[in-house]
Amino acid sequence: ATSTLAERASPAMATYTYTSRPRALPCQRRRYRDDLMQQPEEPVHYGNIMYDRRVIRGNTYALQSVPLLFDFDLEVKPMLEVLVGKTIEQSLLEVMEEEELANLRASQYAYEELRNIELAEVQRLEEQERRHREEKERRKQQQWQVVHKHNETSQKIAARAFAQRYLADLLPSVFDSLRDGGYFYDPVERDIEIGFLPWLMNEVDKTMESSMVGRTVLDMLIREVVERRLNLYEQKEGRHASVRPENGLGGPGGTREPLVGFESQDQGASQAQRPLPDRDSLQRTPYDARYAERVSSQERRLAEENDELTEMRKSSKREELSQ
Amino acid sequence: MADAKISMYLPPNVNPTQAAIAYGCRALPKLNEELQSDDLLTRQKALMALCDLMHDPEHVYTAISIGCLESLKALLKDTNDLVRIKTTEVLCIMATHNVGREGFLEHNVIQALSFLMSDAQPACRENLYTAFKHLAQLPAELQVVAAELHAEDDRGDALEAVDPLFALRPLAAHVHHLEGALGIVNSGLIPSLVWKLQREEEEIQVLLLDTLAACLTEDATEALASRAVPFLKEKLLSTNCDIRSKAARTLIAVSVPPEGKIQVWQHDVIPILVHLLKDRDEEVQANAAGALMNATVTTEGKYAALDAEATRPLLQLLTSSLSKARLNAIKALTMLAEAPEGRKLLQPHVATFRALEEDFSLAVQRAAQIAIRVIEWKP
Repeated sequence: ATSTLAERASPAMATYTYTSRPRALPCQRRRYRDDLMQQPEEPVHYGNIMYDRRVIRGNTYALQSVPLLFDFDLEVKPMLEVLVGKTIEQSLLEVMEEEELANLRASQYAYEELRNIELAEVQRLEEQERRHREEKERRKQQQWQVVHKHNETSQKIAARAFAQRYLADLLPSVFDSLRDGGYFYDPVERDIEIGFLPWLMNEVDKTMESSMVGRTVLDMLIREVVERRLNLYEQKEGRHASVRPENGLGGPGGTREPLVGFESQDQGASQAQRPLPDRDSLQRTPYDARYAERVSSQERRLAEENDELTEMRKSSKREELSQ
Repeated sequence: MADAKISMYLPPNVNPTQAAIAYGCRALPKLNEELQSDDLLTRQKALMALCDLMHDPEHVYTAISIGCLESLKALLKDTNDLVRIKTTEVLCIMATHNVGREGFLEHNVIQALSFLMSDAQPACRENLYTAFKHLAQLPAELQVVAAELHAEDDRGDALEAVDPLFALRPLAAHVHHLEGALGIVNSGLIPSLVWKLQREEEEIQVLLLDTLAACLTEDATEALASRAVPFLKEKLLSTNCDIRSKAARTLIAVSVPPEGKIQVWQHDVIPILVHLLKDRDEEVQANAAGALMNATVTTEGKYAALDAEATRPLLQLLTSSLSKARLNAIKALTMLAEAPEGRKLLQPHVATFRALEEDFSLAVQRAAQIAIRVIEWKP
């Protein structure tokens, strides 16, 4: 039935619709230029085995053989449906799968693009931030160093100025203190001070001493003379003056006492050597006897002293010579 | 109407290569049993049938729930080549589906697969790497879902053609914190993947690079430790344009962590990237610009790029038709403008950036604004 339907649909073999039997179109062109004859009818080769009449298939004699085995066209329908259905289902699945994959890939592609961009942006900002921060740190460090150096320099300058000022005074003060300490001395002056003046003073002393000794000696001489005269007078008076005992008590008491007061005289004479001669010369009258004793002891001592003095003079002269 | 006669003969075996698929819900359990049979032919036929069935995500879910993955893992160690090839193909198809990926992560399939990386059969390895690649496409479900939701807001056309089940499934499973790419990273496969990059043929290298690019966006430290940068540098000079673009994309991921940036500069990759900016293929240009963008964040990178005269090709890229290329170029120029020399070079081109502010992509507008701000910044 189907085959007759197809023939009915396109009666003219020339039209080629989608319901027509699949066949190769006969070639209408003249093959050879000089071929003037009509082309012989070539056997039409059918492209499809299903429609080639020469092939014997199930449906060729199905409708003709009695009893009818089966109507091929009817039976084949469900089978065809299943086959075609399954094939289409399977291919649909596969196509869907591929489409899914393609969509997944496309969306992932777009997503990846955006993600890469965003990631790069984030990293760039991070990097920028890090660089800015480092730059700031470096600048801060630099500034700090500059300030530090500045401080140091100013401190150094201040210290130097201060030290200069301090030391500027130091030199004169050092020299002053040294000078005050007597470290700068004029050697001649020093020499004079050390050597000459003491000697001078010594000499002056000695001279004065000698003059005083001379006076004392003179005093003693005078005394001696006076005593002798007195003794002479007393001897004379003694013969005449036995009448006056009370004055003589004072006198002889005074004369006897010198035996007792001899030691005290010694002490007194030793205590007051220098000023004694001057005072004693004034106290002549009551204590003459005692005075005579004293003067005699003094004489002895002075004589010793004179010896000492001469010795000293000799020694000082020796010193001077050695100096 | 013919009589509905039930034939006395068994229905003919239409496809002798495939096992007969039982009807309805019995299909998968029966196939599972056949997978565990001792007969080689049965196993092979079961695998062929499974390949066809696994295109349906619901079948994938059922298969995983009845434990097909265990039998498949056992089959991976089979001695027969065809069995292995088909098993990897099945796993590859399962990996294209989200449930499949999650099943992989749960049942530790990655490790079982990794034993086959030095397999003799190239087809086997190809399927293996494709499975890895599909697995690595799953960075973190929340991110993908979030991107999709954003896509809905920005451009409403993103989800039209997609099966609505697809969008909802990740939402339902968001409690899973296992991530595919991290799964690969955690199994310690990155060093071996990088090593394989040297030895494999070109088609497989393409797959490997894809996988690596996805994994390294998650965690690039292991790759850096296993000398990924020199390998990638070689790949940048390859003749295959796909390899170049994927190598550049992997470099983008590698140069995200600071260690990566330092390594990229140390191995003198920047001049090569600048050279790639003038490549014929736009994808390569865009990815090279992206890698430059990441590598020039450091000061050394900036000056290396300026020395290699990167500004001129980047300025040319600004007029490219691929929005990714424009974005990456703008960002790379922004990085270069951070340096005073870069700013001087880019000062006369501010007009180009102003023109880009009128671009219809929001990201490009924003990037152009930021770039202008950076160029005109005075200390």
